Amino acid sequence: MLTGRSLVSVVDDDESVRESLPDLLWELGFAAHAFSSAEEFLTSDYVAQTNCLILDIAMPGMTGHDLQRELKLRRQEIPIVFITAYRDDAVRPRVLEQGAVECLFKPFSERALVEALNAALRRS
Amino acid sequence: MEVSLEHPAEEIKRLQRCINDLVSLLALPAMWSGSKPYDIVHTLLDSLLRLLDLDFVYVSLTNPVDAAPSETVRVPQSQEQLFRPRELCTFLNRWLGDDPQKRYLQERSHIGDEEVSLASWPLGVQREIGVIVAGSRRADFPRDTEALLLGIAANQALIGLQQGRLLTEQKRVADELDQRVGQRTAELAAANEGLRMEVAERRRAEEALKRSEAFLAEGQRLSLTGSFSWRLDTDEITFSEELYRIFEFDYDAPVMLEQIVARVHPEDIPLLSEKMDLARRNINDHDYAIRLRMPDGRVKYLRTKSYGIRDRDGRLEHVGAIQDATEHRLSEEALAKVSSELAHVARVTSLGALAASIAHEVSQPLSGIITNACTCLRMLAADPPNVDGARETVRRTIRDGNRASEVITRLRALFSKKEATIESVDLNEATREVIALSLSELQRNRVILRTELASDLPVVKGDRVQIQQVILNLLRNASEALSAVDDRPRQLLISTERDEGDRVRLTVQDAGVGFDPQAAERLFEAFYTTKNESMGMGLSVSRSIIENHHGRLWAAPNDGPGATFSFSIPRGPEGVTGARSLGTIRMPAAEDSERAMGDPC
Repeated sequence: MLTGRSLVSVVDDDESVRESLPDLLWELGFAAHAFSSAEEFLTSDYVAQTNCLILDIAMPGMTGHDLQRELKLRRQEIPIVFITAYRDDAVRPRVLEQGAVECLFKPFSERALVEALNAALRRS
Repeated sequence: MEVSLEHPAEEIKRLQRCINDLVSLLALPAMWSGSKPYDIVHTLLDSLLRLLDLDFVYVSLTNPVDAAPSETVRVPQSQEQLFRPRELCTFLNRWLGDDPQKRYLQERSHIGDEEVSLASWPLGVQREIGVIVAGSRRADFPRDTEALLLGIAANQALIGLQQGRLLTEQKRVADELDQRVGQRTAELAAANEGLRMEVAERRRAEEALKRSEAFLAEGQRLSLTGSFSWRLDTDEITFSEELYRIFEFDYDAPVMLEQIVARVHPEDIPLLSEKMDLARRNINDHDYAIRLRMPDGRVKYLRTKSYGIRDRDGRLEHVGAIQDATEHRLSEEALAKVSSELAHVARVTSLGALAASIAHEVSQPLSGIITNACTCLRMLAADPPNVDGARETVRRTIRDGNRASEVITRLRALFSKKEATIESVDLNEATREVIALSLSELQRNRVILRTELASDLPVVKGDRVQIQQVILNLLRNASEALSAVDDRPRQLLISTERDEGDRVRLTVQDAGVGFDPQAAERLFEAFYTTKNESMGMGLSVSRSIIENHHGRLWAAPNDGPGATFSFSIPRGPEGVTGARSLGTIRMPAAEDSERAMGDPC
């Protein structure tokens, strides 16, 4: 933000994602901040500043879907890129229908990530 | 007879009257023809009373069947005031006395106030038939003509009574004969009816026997069971039709002992000899399996049950049934093979259903690896290269690589079809590993998992992978039971503890949908399932595994919602205590990878 970078918030209960993804995002030219749960993100000061949300679907407590709904209720129009390790073909069309920009299955390539982020930022 | 010649006319009149009376008396037998003694006596008395102008006349008849004599007394109506019949009978009975030799009595006597002349005539030489007494107040009674008439009347009566008695006896005999004939006829008719019924009954019994025999033959054919008898004194052997079929003997020829011995599988000959020896000594211990080897090499498995009996002459006979259990045996073998394969299939499919969560476990570290590698490349490509950052990303890459490797290692252990291997198993450690593999699925189902693993748990001897498979099954079932719950927390508790009798127990308690208490045992039946996508083998296989470990697996509904599944297995002979306990679940992969990495770069 300070550097004019777009802020990408990462919400994932998996520690390795929280460690690795912000570094890559930084290398790709984004500002990034990671949260271990949906609740943590919602109670943080980053919600309003977030230009794009990279959101895990399956998490203990609030799931990615729950957070998507909650943000809609709060009228927080943050473009969302879902990431999930469950390769379920039914998931992608469902989240896209509900307004997500993209749904990436782990492990995803850097290129797929960049394309999804660009699409998200175009929307924000 | 005296004839008075002083008054010849009167005398002639008297004689004429006498002749008339005589003729009347002689006519009596004609009247009596076919009459009964009662009628004869009454006619006689009436005639005598009338002909002899008597005051009374009395007859006593003996009873042919030795009963009391029957007395009859007749008194003219005009004399009834003077001679009362009952008193007369009493008096005359005494007057006659008991001596039958007294053929004829005649005397003047007093009856009551009256003086009477009495005259008696026996009926029969010794009163065999009875006696007649005539009484008159006339002093000259009986006059010679009266005595003559009385004597003739007595003789006539004797003949009539004898004939009457004869007739009566004849009638009695005839009646008795009729009665006996009737009775015998009735008896014969009854016997005939009995015979007819017996014949009908026998026919029915024969038909029933035929049906029964047909049923038995059909039953033997269907159940592949034949029967036999063996007379031990003559070695005479009888086979039922089905037994001929089982042994594949020629129906026409009698069965010989040598034939049977020749057909028995050579390896089972000692068994047969032993059983035959026991049979000859009438020791009843004959429930055994034996094999036949047919001429074309086929082997038949037979089940034999027999016992000894003795006939009326004390001769020993051995009877029994032999079932061809070949199909059964082959089915059992096939079933055992299928069951073994099915157990493996169930094992694989139950794990296969976990593939998604396992894929998740692998995808997570892979994702980290790729992201870190990409970051690393970018850092190294920067000007100047960000070497520290790159080193960090490489360190993370190695860590995630190890994590993925651990998942694969566990996966391979679970999927391998190796035979059961007995080793010391730390149930707590095994449980943690299973939890680690299932964690993603539990998370996906939003299950709140709590563990209470006993710190002093001894190790058990068993197949670690199999035991883990059971834990995995119980965990998956609990997780699925919870997935339908939305009105309460999806709580799941796994606990381990020492159990009675030097055993260890693992319990999986969920607050899920529970089960019908009446179906508690059915849960463990193969193919019993309440889930659409399940084969229903999980709990069945699990119970088999636990029972193979000499343990017990059971289910119980909770007091509140949900169910509790537990198993208890004996500890191993080496009483090693589990090293540690974890109150919360950590991912072993992370822990192990840290250990594996040491200093990553």
